[in-house]
Amino acid sequence: MTRSSDHSTPPRLGTYLLKKIYREELFGEISGDLEEIYQEQVAEKGRFIASCNYLVDAVLSIRNYNLRRRKKITQNNSIAMFKNYFKITLRTISKNKVYSGLNIMGLALGIAAFIFILQYVTYENSYDKFHSDHENTYRVLYKVYRGEDLQIDCAAAVPRVGPFMKEKMPEVEAFARAFPVSGVMSTDNTKFREDRIHIADPDFLNIFDYSVVEGDKNNLLTEPNQVVLTSEMAEKYFGSTDVIGKTITFNSWLKLPLEITGVTENVPNNSHFKYDFLISYETLNNETLQDDGSSNSETAWGWYDFNTYVQLKDGADPKAFDEKFEEVLYEERGEIFEKYNFKAEFPLQPITDIHLYSNLLQESEPEEQGDGDAVFFLSIIAFFILVIAWINYINLSTARAMERAKEVGIRKTMGAYKKQLVYQFLSEALLLNFFALIIGLLIVVLGIRYFNQLTNSLLSTDFLVSTEFWLTAIGVFFAGVALSGLYPAFVLSSFKPVAVLKGKLQGQKAGKGLRRSLVTFQFAASVTLIAGTLIVYQQLQHMNTVDLGFDMTNTLVIKGPQSLESDSIYQTKLQTFKSQMLNIPGVDQITASSNVPGDEIFWTNGIRKWEDPDSQNNTIYIAGIDHDYFPTFDIKMVAGRNYDKSFTTDTGAVILNKAAVKLLGYESPAEAVNQKVRFWNNPKTIIGVVDDYQQMSAKSEVAPIVLPLVKAPSGFFTLSLTTDNYQQVLNQAQQTFTVFFPRDPYDYFFIDEFFNRQYANERTFSRVFTLFAIFGVVVACLGLFGLSSFTALQRTKEIGIRKALGASLRGIVMLLSKEFIILIAISNLIAWPIIYLVMEQWLDNFATRISMPIWVFLFAGAMVMITALITVGYKTFRTAQSNPVKALRYE
Amino acid sequence: MKGTYLGEFEELVLLTVASLANEAYAVIVKKEVEKNADRKVNISAIHSSLYRLEDKGFLSSEFGGATQKRGGKQKRFFKVTSAGFATLQQSKDLKQQLWKNIPQLSFSH
Repeated sequence: MTRSSDHSTPPRLGTYLLKKIYREELFGEISGDLEEIYQEQVAEKGRFIASCNYLVDAVLSIRNYNLRRRKKITQNNSIAMFKNYFKITLRTISKNKVYSGLNIMGLALGIAAFIFILQYVTYENSYDKFHSDHENTYRVLYKVYRGEDLQIDCAAAVPRVGPFMKEKMPEVEAFARAFPVSGVMSTDNTKFREDRIHIADPDFLNIFDYSVVEGDKNNLLTEPNQVVLTSEMAEKYFGSTDVIGKTITFNSWLKLPLEITGVTENVPNNSHFKYDFLISYETLNNETLQDDGSSNSETAWGWYDFNTYVQLKDGADPKAFDEKFEEVLYEERGEIFEKYNFKAEFPLQPITDIHLYSNLLQESEPEEQGDGDAVFFLSIIAFFILVIAWINYINLSTARAMERAKEVGIRKTMGAYKKQLVYQFLSEALLLNFFALIIGLLIVVLGIRYFNQLTNSLLSTDFLVSTEFWLTAIGVFFAGVALSGLYPAFVLSSFKPVAVLKGKLQGQKAGKGLRRSLVTFQFAASVTLIAGTLIVYQQLQHMNTVDLGFDMTNTLVIKGPQSLESDSIYQTKLQTFKSQMLNIPGVDQITASSNVPGDEIFWTNGIRKWEDPDSQNNTIYIAGIDHDYFPTFDIKMVAGRNYDKSFTTDTGAVILNKAAVKLLGYESPAEAVNQKVRFWNNPKTIIGVVDDYQQMSAKSEVAPIVLPLVKAPSGFFTLSLTTDNYQQVLNQAQQTFTVFFPRDPYDYFFIDEFFNRQYANERTFSRVFTLFAIFGVVVACLGLFGLSSFTALQRTKEIGIRKALGASLRGIVMLLSKEFIILIAISNLIAWPIIYLVMEQWLDNFATRISMPIWVFLFAGAMVMITALITVGYKTFRTAQSNPVKALRYE
Repeated sequence: MKGTYLGEFEELVLLTVASLANEAYAVIVKKEVEKNADRKVNISAIHSSLYRLEDKGFLSSEFGGATQKRGGKQKRFFKVTSAGFATLQQSKDLKQQLWKNIPQLSFSH
């Protein structure tokens, strides 16, 4: 065969397409036509355009797919049957709008709740996973044991351990320390108090992926007096991110001008560690330089304020590392451990565990710490709600079996296989689930803003573009179709056609036992959710109202000045400042202190009875106070007396809390008074013991605290007020404050808000819990409504006869509701022990907890019972009320 | 009856086939329609109409010669059947009747 050079063949893809589209008999002639056009166009317009047109023609031919195919279709009737199934489904939906609506709404709510929780859980689990090497990055913890007794369990380690690990352990690729400080940052025209400042090693920005937007990424934080800030801070202080080389001054216990060498993106919300400023570590080394040329911030083994992170080499096992390091550490520190009778450990904690599974001293963001158990609980709740929704579907479809029985009978008589009927009901489930999925997604998209507001979370609709989400959604969808569709499909398809068409329905019994147990399960789940919510709520209330040992009402706290002159100037200033503040009308008392309740104490030292040996030393928290601390906070003395201005010897005295008395080993507070302790390496006399007021939240035990009299504490000024007119006091206090401390910003807070922010997480959790408890109950009630109205409908004739024979309205309502009442009673009996066990465990997490409130069980049970009765009652009442003549004419 | 209904485009194609006597195959029909009706038509639409009209019994067809231009594939030539002519006639009569019914007045405008 010869082929002329100007003869070209049309694109093969087009020909292939045509072959697929047209039947064999038509393909030849039709592709011939297209090729003829192609050849003409090659001659006229060139090959490229001809090819394009050929392809367009081929694609447009898809419309002729059905051309002369009809005969073939009749051979394969399953497609036609599926069409029919969908048509019948749509008809059934529109025939019973109420039931279908309930069914779809229930499923949609279930799916929406599931997606919400899924997103919430995914977000909680996403913490710190954005660091590319998060799998090899660990935080070094600090644990101190005395004998078997764990005395310090802290998230921040000591400065020496990072470099030491790097020197001795070949597995360590890099380490970085971050020392949290707070103070006032100032430029020429602005000053703000900043709390999220960390003094960090240069490798900090290499281990973590906080992206650098300005500055040389490989050369940050290397020299003393350098600072890196976030773009938000750059905007706040300079109005732009173009700030490299500019100077910002840090005022705290050190006053330093810092050179800005880098700007990073703002820290992502799902990071356990949040900073606004990073100051170079060398800055701190300069400040802690000692006579021998070494720095305390490099050599100290006891100063545990340093968040220390290590990056291990790929494949290194943290367990093995911990064991090996214990030996290495003992070689170095063993002698000290023996001498002082304690043991320190520095175990590694994966950074991805920090947010959910860590609750130690000195967490970087203590208020934000998540609760892995709570997240796990929520996942279970999500699953439960979904199951409740599926159960609704099963219940409603089997309950409606009778209606469909005739259809099934006729289909069977016409020759339908059982398999085909199963397909039919499965495709029905598919369609309904699909509608529900769409509505559910819609609810999520529309509701996510409110959900965020309610739960204080930061979910976005970004998940709609993630593959993982769609895989889960599709998985849930098909699981739903299978779980909710299979059982009804088999029940419905197994009717015997003769019996059904004769009208003998054994359907009344079909699936009744199952339906009952499913309803019981649904309501057991609802009771559990309601009671759980109530208990969580009670516990939160309890923590908010528990006697904290100090007075939170009308107490204003002003943050102390950071840019101090010399101690002696401040000391004299403080006295006049305090008396001037007292002159403001409405101010009752004022005290200056290093800490206030709700503010985590970082200041610790050793303490022991004077006569005890070195090995009996204990670590104790220190809060420096003045004479007015206890009266201002209304903290009770349980023994001894407060500091008194008339006793000059009080500088050699200390006051302890009860926990400290116990730590030191005294029998009672009274016994401790007038005893001598060694504190700050000096003998001090205990002159008083105060009650265990809650320094931190009621979640934790009260820690041992010593409250020495300090000459001029500068952390906080606390004012107890006798007026409700806060605005006036605030204004006047500001004036006074600015007169005395012109270089410091005036920041204040009310102690109750400040203290209660520690419960933010629990509050969020309780809201989420409440929301989904409501979801669960609503979904369950939707199902119950459908089910009960259906039962009522089925028994219309029975009720008619009963009424005709003289049954009372009450009797009939009772008759119809009895079944549900029994089921709900059973579900209560099932739910109660479960609630008791689970919630008892949850409550044990709290230092001050409520005892299990029994009324909650009864209340939750009663609430579900009442809701269910209203749901059932509405329809039953109407049925019972209807004229018996109507009922008997029915059908 | 649904089967004998003639769509606007179908009528166009049917008339074109009739006008082409024995020479009507898809490519020619497409060109004729485009020329006479002054509109762009895709070949797949022509195919669709031709085969449907045949299924309705308005057209009959037989294979004709193949050319190299067609990659050696045969043409299918269509002819209008008597039923086809009858339907065309009917359609024309109907329209004429309707035209007659239009009041003369409206023409004066």
